[in-house]
Amino acid sequence: MGVAVLLKQVPDTTAKISVSGSRVDESAITKWSISPYDEYALESAIALKESGVDELVAITCGPQRASKCLTEAASVGADRLIHILTDADFMDSCTLQSILSSAIQRSGCDIVLCGKQAADTNSGSTGPGVASLLGYSCVGSVTEISMDGSKISATRLGNTGLEKIEVGGPCVFTFDKGEVELRRPNVRGIMMAKKKPIESIGIEELGIEIGSPKTSLKSHVSPPEKPPGQKFEGAGSIEIVVSKLRDEANVI
Amino acid sequence: MAYEALDFYDIDSLLTDEERMIRDVVRDWVEERILPNIEDACREGVFPDEWRADIGEMGILGAPLKGYGCPGLSYTAYGLICQELERGDSGVRSFASVQGSLVMYPIWDFGSEEQKEKYLPRMASGELVGCFGLTEPDYGSNPGDMITKAEDKGDYFLLNGAKMWITNGTIADLAVVWAKLDGVIRGFIVEKGDEGFTAPEMKGKHSLKASITSELVFQDCKIPKDRILPDVKGLRGPFSCLNNARFGISWGAVGAAQSCFNSAKEYALSRIQFGHPIASFQLVQNKLSWMLREITKGQLLAYHLGKKKDDGTWIPEQISLAKMNNVDMALEIARMSRDIHGANGILDEYPVMRHMANLESVKTYEGTHDIHNLILGRHITGIQSFTREP
Ligand SMILES: Cc1cc2nc3c(=O)[nH]c(=O)nc-3n(C[C@H](O)[C@H](O)[C@H](O)COP(=O)(O)OP(=O)(O)OC[C@H]3O[C@@H](n4cnc5c(N)ncnc54)[C@H](O)[C@@H]3O)c2cc1C
Repeated sequence: MGVAVLLKQVPDTTAKISVSGSRVDESAITKWSISPYDEYALESAIALKESGVDELVAITCGPQRASKCLTEAASVGADRLIHILTDADFMDSCTLQSILSSAIQRSGCDIVLCGKQAADTNSGSTGPGVASLLGYSCVGSVTEISMDGSKISATRLGNTGLEKIEVGGPCVFTFDKGEVELRRPNVRGIMMAKKKPIESIGIEELGIEIGSPKTSLKSHVSPPEKPPGQKFEGAGSIEIVVSKLRDEANVI
Repeated sequence: MAYEALDFYDIDSLLTDEERMIRDVVRDWVEERILPNIEDACREGVFPDEWRADIGEMGILGAPLKGYGCPGLSYTAYGLICQELERGDSGVRSFASVQGSLVMYPIWDFGSEEQKEKYLPRMASGELVGCFGLTEPDYGSNPGDMITKAEDKGDYFLLNGAKMWITNGTIADLAVVWAKLDGVIRGFIVEKGDEGFTAPEMKGKHSLKASITSELVFQDCKIPKDRILPDVKGLRGPFSCLNNARFGISWGAVGAAQSCFNSAKEYALSRIQFGHPIASFQLVQNKLSWMLREITKGQLLAYHLGKKKDDGTWIPEQISLAKMNNVDMALEIARMSRDIHGANGILDEYPVMRHMANLESVKTYEGTHDIHNLILGRHITGIQSFTREP
């Protein structure tokens, strides 16, 4: 049995984002990282591997720079690395889901872990979309996962509290930030990762039919700048502050 | 905001992917574990044991050594590790320098096969901590005149004497101690708990407060015969260790300087005086541009030296120049940064005063600034001026 983890490379959450023309200026982004929820998926995938899964396959879809995600995954324990190369600056969710499903089929894995949403697009459609294309079950917002024989139990945040779910067959699990501590790669892992080959595959090589995308990206716009704060001093301004809090901020 | 290290000449693009990854692992660790806790550690005068465990876990100890569980990295990677650790605190870098360059290295280069197998893997993983005993109360810059001595008693060696200013001393499981056997300097491995060996801590430091500094006292200390380092005699032993440590310091100093530069830049941009950010005044800009200039030169020096270490074309004088120059510039930058911070510069809310105080030690240990001047003076003129005797 193999487990696949889907990793997306996104601008680091601390990176400064600027828009130039109608697109985010990628050349101004100094740090790219694995999307944070995907990191929790990766951590859990390593835990599954430690409890007996045969193979951990890391899969990413993105430009050349995204291969760094795979090397990072290898440095903490991924066995096989698959990179679906594309230079598209925007990809329709359905298109991406077909590509990833095909890569997962190629990997032969029937357990798939990914973040519940990506930190850049926040669309949250990849996990469920891939599950429906592959005909797998899907459990969302998982924080913990464990394996007992062929059964997997997952803990997720439900409406009324924590839910424990048991799954028997092929399944996609999407991950939320949990209590688990992410492990940091060590030098030995990094040196071994360097030697691990990455299977780079062009979209055309996947041999899948991709229909024309139904959605397209028109433009990126920066959020409006916040107006500067207002400052009031002395007891004399209490009345103005109270009226502003009541009438403008609507908080009292 | 993520920490953005000053890299004006894009040294980053010269690094390999794994060098960058290793640097980032250490950088993130420093950000998460050192920066939030360093002031407490300094106040209490401790080197937290979790730091030892984490550093061991990251696998960065003895970075350039190969085999026996050591990482076998490039000298550039070793330098980057030092740079990031010292961006956190010189005391943390000192811990790693002593362990890797001053204790693991001599065992790796001059030790017997049994010694290597016994100590190196457990030192690389951080399980065992080492210290390096060269300096004595009366012999600092001229260790050649040391008085600590070893006697061959047939079944064992007997050590007598004292070492001072020994980093990691009190927390060490083993010490590489340099002592005279029949008048010749030799290296010995002394273990914690050996009869007649104690390592009391030296208190009251205003510098490297999160690093442990100790005396090593040998009073009829008995050690087994197999604890001598078989393959080196004379000052070459300790000096070859110092070469590696000094190389690491030349990178470490860059890290401390980068930290002081960043703090000065941010502070100058946000501090308003006379109605304008102080960063808008020419005198302040002059200071910032001087820092940028000196750090950039120091980085290039350290980077190039790393390449020379890797291909084996270096000479010790080049290491002297890099250690001396980079620590000097870092100390000057720390002082200047402290100045830019005004009164705030003396607070522990900013890293600058801590770096400044730390760098005073770094200027002195591993060959004082002026001892390196004398090494270069001898290289230039062919005339030694350490001593008046011919
Ligand atoms: C925090 C800390 C940690 C240390 N850790 C270790 C350690 O782990 N192991 C270890 O063995 N040692 C360690 N040392 C000791 C360090 O290496 C010595 O302090 C250093 O070699 C200088 O020796 P000294 O302090 O006796 O100064 P001295 O040699 O007495 O020098 C005093 C001054 O005289 C100058 N001077 C000396 N000789 C000459 C000369 N011929 N010409 C011109 N000027 C000269 C020096 O440059 C200096 O300015 C540590 C020191 C410190 C502060």
